[in-house]
Amino acid sequence: MSHVTEIIHQYLRHNKKFPHVFCPGCGHGIVLGSLIRSVHELGLPKDDVAVVAGIGCSGRIAAYVDFNTIHSTHGRALTFATGVKMSNPKLHVICIMGDGDATAIGGNHLIHAARRNVSITALVLNNNIYGMTGGQCSPTTPEGASAMTTPYGQLEKAFDMVELGRAAGANYVARGSVFQANMLERFIRTAIERPGFGLVEILSPCYTQFGRKNHFKTPVDMYRWLKENAVPRESWEKMTEEKRRGRIPVGEFAINDAPGLEQRYAEMAARLKEEAER
Amino acid sequence: MPETSVNILVGGEAGQGLVTIGEFMAKALVRSGYEIHVTQDYMSRVRGGHNTFAIRTGPDPIWAPVEDVDILVALDQETIDLHKSQLTGQGVVIADEAFDVGDLPALSVPFKELAPKPIFRNVAALGVLASTICHDIEDLEQLLTKTFGKKGDEVVEQNLEVLRAAYNWRKEQDFVVECMPPSLVDVGPEGSGRLMMQGNQAIALGALAAGCNFCPFYPMTPSTSIPLALSALGRDLGVVVEQVEDEISAMNMALGASFAGAKAMVATSGGGFALMCEGVSLAGMTETPIVIALIQRPGPATGLPTRTEQADLNLALYAGHGEFPRAILTPGTVEECFELAHKAFDLAERSQSPVFILSDQYLADSYRSVAPFDLNAYPQIEGPLLEADPYYVRHALVPNGVSPRVVPGTSKALVVLDSDEHTPDGHITEDLDVRIRMNNKRLKKAKVLARDMFQPVRYEDEDPERLLVCWGTTLGAAREAARLLTSLGERTGVLHFQQVWPLVPEQFMSALEGAREVVFVEGNATGQLAALIRQQTGFVAHKQVLRYDGLPFTARYIATAVEQSE
Ligand code: SF4
Repeated sequence: MSHVTEIIHQYLRHNKKFPHVFCPGCGHGIVLGSLIRSVHELGLPKDDVAVVAGIGCSGRIAAYVDFNTIHSTHGRALTFATGVKMSNPKLHVICIMGDGDATAIGGNHLIHAARRNVSITALVLNNNIYGMTGGQCSPTTPEGASAMTTPYGQLEKAFDMVELGRAAGANYVARGSVFQANMLERFIRTAIERPGFGLVEILSPCYTQFGRKNHFKTPVDMYRWLKENAVPRESWEKMTEEKRRGRIPVGEFAINDAPGLEQRYAEMAARLKEEAER
Repeated sequence: MPETSVNILVGGEAGQGLVTIGEFMAKALVRSGYEIHVTQDYMSRVRGGHNTFAIRTGPDPIWAPVEDVDILVALDQETIDLHKSQLTGQGVVIADEAFDVGDLPALSVPFKELAPKPIFRNVAALGVLASTICHDIEDLEQLLTKTFGKKGDEVVEQNLEVLRAAYNWRKEQDFVVECMPPSLVDVGPEGSGRLMMQGNQAIALGALAAGCNFCPFYPMTPSTSIPLALSALGRDLGVVVEQVEDEISAMNMALGASFAGAKAMVATSGGGFALMCEGVSLAGMTETPIVIALIQRPGPATGLPTRTEQADLNLALYAGHGEFPRAILTPGTVEECFELAHKAFDLAERSQSPVFILSDQYLADSYRSVAPFDLNAYPQIEGPLLEADPYYVRHALVPNGVSPRVVPGTSKALVVLDSDEHTPDGHITEDLDVRIRMNNKRLKKAKVLARDMFQPVRYEDEDPERLLVCWGTTLGAAREAARLLTSLGERTGVLHFQQVWPLVPEQFMSALEGAREVVFVEGNATGQLAALIRQQTGFVAHKQVLRYDGLPFTARYIATAVEQSE
């Protein structure tokens, strides 16, 4: 326990910012814990970490961590982060976004950040809903699910963020859940350590705005659901279509080593300079 | 107004090479010490349509385009049909012998003979044109050799052959031409040493002189030549120029870079800027310096993509939700594009605010002859601090509102920004007393901007009966109009705003009140500067001359409008 307290003291703005804003049972607190444990384990100096957050419940994480932080605007975190990374490549830039933030208003930026393969760790906290603004549907609200703006059930299909990131060219794509925190931390660490764009989708329950309206009796129910239905990729691949229904695979879906945009940029600049001097 | 200028209009379809002819001729004139003023009028398409490249040239400074044409180089029949009414008494048409020139004085050129291969027709037209104004052929030979040198000796030789044939063909014609008077500049063996430069190139150069090293952009006419110039010139300077998915991304990426210590700029036009407005507000809230080159074209919506207008003053002035300071610089010449772009970075850093450079298609694409800039007079702009102690507070409450700005990752200081209202240390807050203090702090910076602004400048008559008030790119035509109107009987002067925000009434009220008649000349339909000055000072313009047909002002346009309303 003393170890935990120590980490909290080291990485959280514990004396200023708490109690936090998250509802009881919200998954985002677990992500916050995973994030600081990952950074701690990698031994990154605080001054070398820049956290760029979007707007929404997930964006509030930026307020609690004692790194360089920017609580930017809704949807734009990745663009701001790209500017930071290109301007100072030695910073570890971590982006925290929600599902609406990253795939609706910021969807275009997500695709292009992945395509550019700029070395940013993008954590998308997917709770399938707009929490802070009162429970409107998002691009990841499952078909048939109830939201404030889909009172008769979501008609549209949901985005598969893993497929999206992989197709767009991200080096590293993983999906984890807050129920499997150890696995999640491994993904976050890998994403931070590897070059190029790392996208980690994190299944993070929101009981207040999603669970209550979708037949979950308590927040605990939602974690139980994750336990039973967030299945490791390897098992998922062996399942029949029938068995897959209603479940979601977690694991690593893309692991590539392509150098990040900032590195390729530096190499090009060096080459051009050399040519010019010759 | 220069009496001795010659106006050359090259017209044809897109893809026929009229810009090549025009640029070569203009470059040769600049090398020989002449003044030039180029106006490009093109349609929004890659092939076909009707486009023109007009060079007004002469030994004396030239500030604006004119309607009259002395030499019409017609690459197609349409050019003759559309522009023959503009030909002056001594005017001449240069056209292929196959075209119908009616009874116009013309050089009907056997292009097929002079340039057997169609790709050399441009050079043939250039030869005839140069010969018509008695431009030294050696000068052009040097220029062609330099330009085509990369392509090998054979290409150079073929071009020179066609050039000479065409040049000499014209001399043999029984056609009296009026040669250009000699230039007033000393010309050495390497030419006059002057530069041929467009407004947008000068903005890019001014930005580089200030240390600009980051420019994300989304292509949009007529702003794209700024990032293009930055990437061409930035090769040796380490400038990051990134084409991104949209202008929202461009703006926010620039802000991220600025936060991390880069000198960032975005360049766009109206529609693209509309997408950036959210980010302008973020710059205001987070007090992040940003330079915005807003190169106007006629709207609303897609409007006239390749034409000119000054209708986005209000857009720049009110862009972004909430209240925060900003500055809007409005260059009137290519030299001012350079100077103001440099200054924009200084102002942005010193006020930690958005600073606009508001230009338009006319000046963006207009080549002029300029003397090389003395870079010593334009030092690199001081950047943010790299050192601070661990107790650093980003938005510390200081008397002038400009808190020391530190770059993250360079010291033990953590730098915290929030787009939500925040405490001085950058943390989100809903303490409403803090809100008032922080809002006041940000607004205080307007004083820093006002103290250091460009005063409106008077031109021509210093004590006129009639005053033409203009801003930005309208300067040149207004000056020529003032001379024309003075020659017609009433002493006329010009007051030019090279900065339209903030406004400091003490700087210009005596000029406005001193003239019998104050005429606002603006390239928009509603008189946006006149309205702003009225709002700020109560002063009501006596008259307005407005233009919004997509074309730049001329002296005649202004003078006629002023006289008609008498
Ligand atoms: S609304 Fe949902 S996402 Fe937001 S804090 Fe509450 S539980 Fe978490």
